[in-house]
Amino acid sequence: MNKQTDIAIIGIGITKFGELFHQSYDDLVHDAALQAVADAKISLDDIGAAWLSTAFPEIGVFKGRSGMDLSEPLSLYNIPVTRVSNFCASGADAIRNAVNALRAGECDVAMALGVEKLRDRQPQDSIVKMMVEYGHPFLQKGFTAAGTFAVYANRMMKEYGVTREDISNISVKNHLHGSLNEKAFYRKPCSLDEVMKSQMVADPLTVLDSCPTTDGAACVIMVRAEDVDKNKHNPIFIKGIGLSVSTGWDLPFFDSNHDFLSFESTRTAAKMAYKQAGITKPIDELDLIEVHDCFSIVELLTYEDLGLCKQGEAKDLIRGKETQLGGKIPVNVSGGLLSCGHPVGATGIRMVVEVSNHLRGNAGARQVKKARRGLTHNIGGPGAIASVIILEN
Amino acid sequence: MSIIKSYGIALPHFRVEDSTLHPKGKKGVMKAVCFSDEDIITLAFQAASDIPKNNIDGVFFASSSPVFHNRYHASYLADLLNLPQGILALDFTNSARSGTDALLLANDLIDSGKYKNILVVASDVSFPEIGKELTAPFGHAACVILLSNEKGSAEILLAKSFSSSMAEEFSYKLNNIQYDPRYSRDAGFKNNLIESIKNIVSKPQSIDAVILNSLYSRMAGGIFAKAGFEEKQFAKDSLNLKIGNTGAVHALLLLINELENGRKNILLADYTNGTNIFEIKSTAAFINKHLQEQLNNYDLVKTYQDYLQLRKTGNFNSLKYETKEMFSSEMMQEREKETLLYLKGLKCAECGTIYYLKAARCKKCKCDKFYTVQLKDTGTVYAFTSEHYFPSSFPPITMAVIDLDGGGRMTIQQTDTMYPEKNKIEIESKIKLVLRKMIENDAKPNYFWKAIAL
Repeated sequence: MNKQTDIAIIGIGITKFGELFHQSYDDLVHDAALQAVADAKISLDDIGAAWLSTAFPEIGVFKGRSGMDLSEPLSLYNIPVTRVSNFCASGADAIRNAVNALRAGECDVAMALGVEKLRDRQPQDSIVKMMVEYGHPFLQKGFTAAGTFAVYANRMMKEYGVTREDISNISVKNHLHGSLNEKAFYRKPCSLDEVMKSQMVADPLTVLDSCPTTDGAACVIMVRAEDVDKNKHNPIFIKGIGLSVSTGWDLPFFDSNHDFLSFESTRTAAKMAYKQAGITKPIDELDLIEVHDCFSIVELLTYEDLGLCKQGEAKDLIRGKETQLGGKIPVNVSGGLLSCGHPVGATGIRMVVEVSNHLRGNAGARQVKKARRGLTHNIGGPGAIASVIILEN
Repeated sequence: MSIIKSYGIALPHFRVEDSTLHPKGKKGVMKAVCFSDEDIITLAFQAASDIPKNNIDGVFFASSSPVFHNRYHASYLADLLNLPQGILALDFTNSARSGTDALLLANDLIDSGKYKNILVVASDVSFPEIGKELTAPFGHAACVILLSNEKGSAEILLAKSFSSSMAEEFSYKLNNIQYDPRYSRDAGFKNNLIESIKNIVSKPQSIDAVILNSLYSRMAGGIFAKAGFEEKQFAKDSLNLKIGNTGAVHALLLLINELENGRKNILLADYTNGTNIFEIKSTAAFINKHLQEQLNNYDLVKTYQDYLQLRKTGNFNSLKYETKEMFSSEMMQEREKETLLYLKGLKCAECGTIYYLKAARCKKCKCDKFYTVQLKDTGTVYAFTSEHYFPSSFPPITMAVIDLDGGGRMTIQQTDTMYPEKNKIEIESKIKLVLRKMIENDAKPNYFWKAIAL
């Protein structure tokens, strides 16, 4: 591949994440987009093309089925707008598509906006309903999202001596971080005992090991690096972007090659992104990471998949508090999905906004000191799709 | 005359004691009861699963508690068993005598020479009205007998049916009617039985077990005495106390019970609104003890509350979530049945990896050539979890990632988990696949594999 044009993020916007009963899907789009436009110091009409990420219109408010659901709330018409859907990696994929369009010269200013409105329904009416009532009538029937990751936890415990405490300590750490994030849904720290004794969802994962599905939106505006106006912008550069579909919806659970100890998709996406960014020793070369902690076990397992440690050693990073704010490589200083909640289409972009804030030195109480380079990671479906983005200031 | 070539039994795993059903019920007297995902189809399938399927040219399905109307249980089961399309498949429903009706006709068709191997299936699952569990006979079971013109372990010497216009307990337009028992007993049962046993071909002394399956069996002693039988020849219905009265299945179970107990010459009379009478001669020792094994392997339903939960098979709700309907598609089930139902997997021609699901190319070596292989129905747990939020009559549902013996991996629900602390599985536990209702309350047939702990 030829040397790729660097892409710069010049505008970021994010709504509060949580139960936003007072805001509609359109309100969320409007809120995040206008923050990003203001931050980029441009006008809405400067945007040449946009990508809208909403993963689950049918369990939300039936909005986000096409690009028009970005255009309408912004009255932004007569440009190309594409809806992106790639499960929990949808937001990151919207950014990837915008990056590629900028590189291809389709437009000069691109917007990627992720939004999900899930709390206009009862919690059990959204993701659980989807797993119960939709999909193949037999294959995987009986799983909720938690269960599809809990099997990894049981296998990790068997193979690598990971304990329930190790898994739940991820949640303790992220809830502590979340208490420092004014945009997070849960802002209360919790103890190990509270996590382990909360309602069991799918053994060994409890409610506090699981992220809540929430409402929220996040937006980034990007240009080619050469178009950055140094007097106007505070740019963050996208140095690497990888996305990999490495298995299918059903295949992981019906494939005897699969060991339930690792996500091939994360490894592949990380390899792509590291190569583009020239990273060889991630734990030394990265300053902070936002990992897709939809369930606490996923963060633990991802330490290994991102190459922060050897296979089987993730537990040592959490035991040594290396991934806590102030540790060697802080992970999920935003509070992660566990604290922020998971408006599925918005999460990947929320992470990019979070890392950008740190790289700009604007992250307030949870600022990672001297942050120069950060990574965001999403995993979608049953670990089938992963994205890794590397950002630098 | 036809031969019993093979047979199979399916008793559900659970029993409920009469003392659990009612304060006046006896301890130790039990009924076999289905788990919430079992029905006459799953029991019938289970009973037939180990029977040799080659050269079967007919399937008869008998039940007094049919689940289909205007659809043949026999042809439905034949398809589940992967028997050829177009074979003779008939239903015998509506009566507790239908099990032996099917046996009788199968015997006559084989005698005629037109058919060689007929699978006689009887399966019954019904619950009495709430509160009538001690007075209304019930018990869940299935029995399959493969009748053949080939070799086997027992021969049918006589099979005859004597109809009667007299009925005892029946329903008319869903109205339950019971005539004066003295009338139906004396004018109906006694006369009918006397006529039927006139046809016995063997000498009474040569019979070593007389089975009478009837509500009035206790009153028949005099009739048999007049015909030259002695009381010691009577085979008592011990199954009634262990699994209840299993309706259309019961006469067949009583027969199998005596054959397993080593009886050589058996007289079987099955009376409901007429008598079916059989003489069966055991020609070889019955080495299998399918029935005895299952009679001794069960868990008790602990409380009446659990029993109520169990029979609420239309209720598929957890405390957390209620659902009315799930997506299902008959077209999809038909299209994918080689995989879903018959467990036909693919074996990579290059690296040998075996896949349960269809694949364009091998995930491991990218080879695009596969052979079809028959997967086994036993395996080992590779990983698992218990789902507390997925709706079920008995949450949590345990989901198990299973490596099938001989290759292939499936992820399915564990079943018979009324008491999760029992039958607990963990990594490396051995399991067996059983066919169950996937969706307990779905208004359509939805049968798929689940795992039971071995």
